[in-house]
Amino acid sequence: MHETGIAQSILDIAIKTALENGAKKINNVAVKVGKMNAIDEASLRFAFDALKEETMAANATFEYIDVPLTGKCEECGYESELEGYFVLCPKCSSGRVTILTGNELEIAYIDIE
Amino acid sequence: MEKIEINQKVLSKNDMDAAELRNRFKKNGTFTVNIMSSPGSGKTSLLEKILGALSSKYNVAVIEGDLQTENDKERIEKVGVKAVQIQTGGACHLEAAEIEKKLPFVDGDNLDLLIIENVGNLVCPSEYDLGQDANIILLSVTEGDDKPLKYPTMFFAGDIFIINKVDLAPYVDFDINKAVENAKKIKSTLEEFIISCKTEEGLDKVIDWFERGILAKKQCS
Ligand SMILES: Nc1nc2c(ncn2[C@@H]2O[C@H](COP(=O)(O)OP(=O)(O)OP(=O)(O)O)[C@@H](O)[C@H]2O)c(=O)[nH]1
Ligand SMILES: [Mg+2]
Ligand SMILES: [Zn+2]
Repeated sequence: MHETGIAQSILDIAIKTALENGAKKINNVAVKVGKMNAIDEASLRFAFDALKEETMAANATFEYIDVPLTGKCEECGYESELEGYFVLCPKCSSGRVTILTGNELEIAYIDIE
Repeated sequence: MEKIEINQKVLSKNDMDAAELRNRFKKNGTFTVNIMSSPGSGKTSLLEKILGALSSKYNVAVIEGDLQTENDKERIEKVGVKAVQIQTGGACHLEAAEIEKKLPFVDGDNLDLLIIENVGNLVCPSEYDLGQDANIILLSVTEGDDKPLKYPTMFFAGDIFIINKVDLAPYVDFDINKAVENAKKIKSTLEEFIISCKTEEGLDKVIDWFERGILAKKQCS
């Protein structure tokens, strides 16, 4: 699925950054994944582990940081975590909810030596 | 050991290809629509019914995605519209790079409207950006009114929600209001259309939506 393409991009960014910082190897890669990306953690780990072989990240751990779906209601101002994938205010049921977190897909940091 | 903060958005290769396509469609003023549904909900039937009205006024083309066969492409050509087939082999979705490759076959830089019929599947296609302006999610009444709740990521990706085969509604336990309500729990801005490709009920409103999209795109290109 789309996890393979994403894992490749994560690895590319990690290696590029590591080289720019004069690293010999990468020990850990931390990635923030918002729930709205519909990413399967196991598939992403599997793809990352397969792709990292024979690179400077061959022994790197993969730190998966799960970001929940949260929103702010434009009607009543209530801020909360949204259940399931419902973008509905849990307090007043309004559909005018702005997503605060849950869309992110970013590489947070790497540990190098 | 040293920790380096990056905080950079991750784009897959497909996201980058799609961004390039989106620029190209913008420059050319091509309104691009991606249609997604389960197999057999009536994507090709809908196109067969509405393309005539659109192609008489605009330069229109269709890209058809299926695992196998050129059947859908041939159905579109029969109604007098340019079409090209992508056979994915095993893949359950289309990717931006495949769209880019097929554009030359349908006069791809001179179109007012490009319609992409994605592979029949309610899960994977929504995860791959194709550079489109809008996503249509089609559901037929024989599939059940709970589908929006079961496939939330698909409905969240949608801009309009079309319920097809309403001529069959009396024969199945499908509650149209409930289906719409469920879809709006996932995305409150989803605009709904209730149609039948058989009786042609509601098709004029869908044609109207396409025309509005084509005209809006011309203004911002
Ligand atoms: N009764 C009825 N049948 C319909 C309607 N729309 C489509 N069909 C039938 O549903 C079947 C599938 O239609 P298609 O248009 O091929 O569906 P599709 O979504 O393009 O299918 P795939 O491309 O294979 O995923 C055909 O036998 C159509 O005749 C409708 O509004 N009413
Ligand atoms: Mg079809
Ligand atoms: Zn509220």
